[in-house]
Amino acid sequence: MNISSIRNQVSESTIITYNLTKKFGKVCAVNRMNITVGNEIFGILGPNGSGKTTTVLMLTTLLDPTDGTAQICGFDIQKEPRKVRESISYVPQDMAVDVRLTGRENVMMFAELYGIQNPAQKTEEALRVLDLSDRADDLAKVYSGGMRRRLELAQALVHNPKVLFLDEPTVGLDVAARKKIWEHIIDLRKQGMTIFVTTHYMDEADRYCDRVAIIDKGIIQAIDTPDNLKSMISKDIISFSVTGQVEKIEVPGVTFAFMEGDELVFYADHGDHALPRVKDALTEAGVQVTAMSIRKPSLDDVFLHLVGTEEDSSPFKLSTFRNAMGRRG
Amino acid sequence: MVMPAAWLVFVGLALPIRFTDNYIDFVTPGILAMTILSASLAGGGLLILDRMLGFFNKFLALPPPRESILFGKILVITIRGIIQSTIILFFAFLLGARLYSPVQLVGTYFILFIFGALLSAAATTIAIYVDDHDQYAAVNAMISMPVFFTSSAMMPYDQMPAWLSPIAHINPLSFAIDGIRILQTGTVPVTQIGLLTVLCAGILGLAVHAFRKVKI
Repeated sequence: MNISSIRNQVSESTIITYNLTKKFGKVCAVNRMNITVGNEIFGILGPNGSGKTTTVLMLTTLLDPTDGTAQICGFDIQKEPRKVRESISYVPQDMAVDVRLTGRENVMMFAELYGIQNPAQKTEEALRVLDLSDRADDLAKVYSGGMRRRLELAQALVHNPKVLFLDEPTVGLDVAARKKIWEHIIDLRKQGMTIFVTTHYMDEADRYCDRVAIIDKGIIQAIDTPDNLKSMISKDIISFSVTGQVEKIEVPGVTFAFMEGDELVFYADHGDHALPRVKDALTEAGVQVTAMSIRKPSLDDVFLHLVGTEEDSSPFKLSTFRNAMGRRG
Repeated sequence: MVMPAAWLVFVGLALPIRFTDNYIDFVTPGILAMTILSASLAGGGLLILDRMLGFFNKFLALPPPRESILFGKILVITIRGIIQSTIILFFAFLLGARLYSPVQLVGTYFILFIFGALLSAAATTIAIYVDDHDQYAAVNAMISMPVFFTSSAMMPYDQMPAWLSPIAHINPLSFAIDGIRILQTGTVPVTQIGLLTVLCAGILGLAVHAFRKVKI
């Protein structure tokens, strides 16, 4: 890799972090993060309290880092925050649209707040792109959850940002609405936008993100394309429901992954062949197998592999819960 | 707004105790300022709601400087207060208060505006740091009642008990009320307006500083 290609890579990157760190008292929420993101859909996956939202808050200049810094489109988040804010849009999780205004008025308001040249025209364009033109004159109060999200996207896009930060964009939406949102996101990426998404939904991250970072306790455990991440785990996943004392067993080509409740999970190169061998080994060791299954790895499995099965013990947030239940307004 | 209106009706018509002649003329400025006071303190709740619903975060990520959020809120809250005061003033005239001349009206509104801006700046800034609606309502109640009763709203200085007079003298609500009363006598209340303006500028400065430093 020569100098000019390194330079190209850096100049094409819209988000670069340099040892980005955030501590809250003794707790290190984000620990020396170094990532570069370019024209792609970049997903960040992690349990609650892992530092995803804190990272987004720092990158959108809403929070000051304790150490390190980051550049968005070449602007330092601490030295030139206003320039950063002019190049980005941030859509937080809460579906905050003004229900007393119409859709059009909501987008117009943001167009004017962004200070763009021809707000009316840009508003129409944004509404059209998000398929809201025919309902634009209805009060936002009567919009469905999916429409509100699209309205928020229209607000975010009206000034043509270079980077779009989305915090849990599909929470609380039904399957069709989620698909629509992601299709819009893919279109935006095709037009050259960088999209930084946090999400809980592994299947969506798997299907739609170009690269995914898995984060836990403020440290990035892995960054790669979903396919590469999945191949981190051996090809197949076999699991057994068991009763009785669990003994250690050794089967060539099979590694023990973890145990959850009464289920033993193994990774195997060729699951279909490994299945009977492991079952026999278990039975020989005196463990009674009540059920067994085999499946291809998904991002969920990568996640559990890297992060473990600890239950989320971070404080309960009512707003997140309400969003997840699809409550509006 | 209902409370000050009720006060006005009660005091103007029903109270048998009279501290001065033509008590309704005396007490109207107090009710007007009280309307502004309660509108401004209640207005701080606007920011709390914004924070709860996620609007505040969205606005913080927009290019306009943070102070613009503050100024927007101040304008809305103060103008709302002025509208409410106008309604109260109208009621006062209906109940027999002496009508204000145009000059006196302009002066009164001027004083009420500065007073309102001062209070809404303070209320909105406090709202950044208070965590929920109920807490804020409690703070609100704890402030508005004592401030009202320790001002010159209800009785003239010479009729106040000895302990009340010094407090009333330094109470900003008193400045506003005295200012409006002095207007009625035909002179311009320079001291009062001056004091209110200085206070307003000071609080605005602090508020802008707080807003510039706001991080989630």
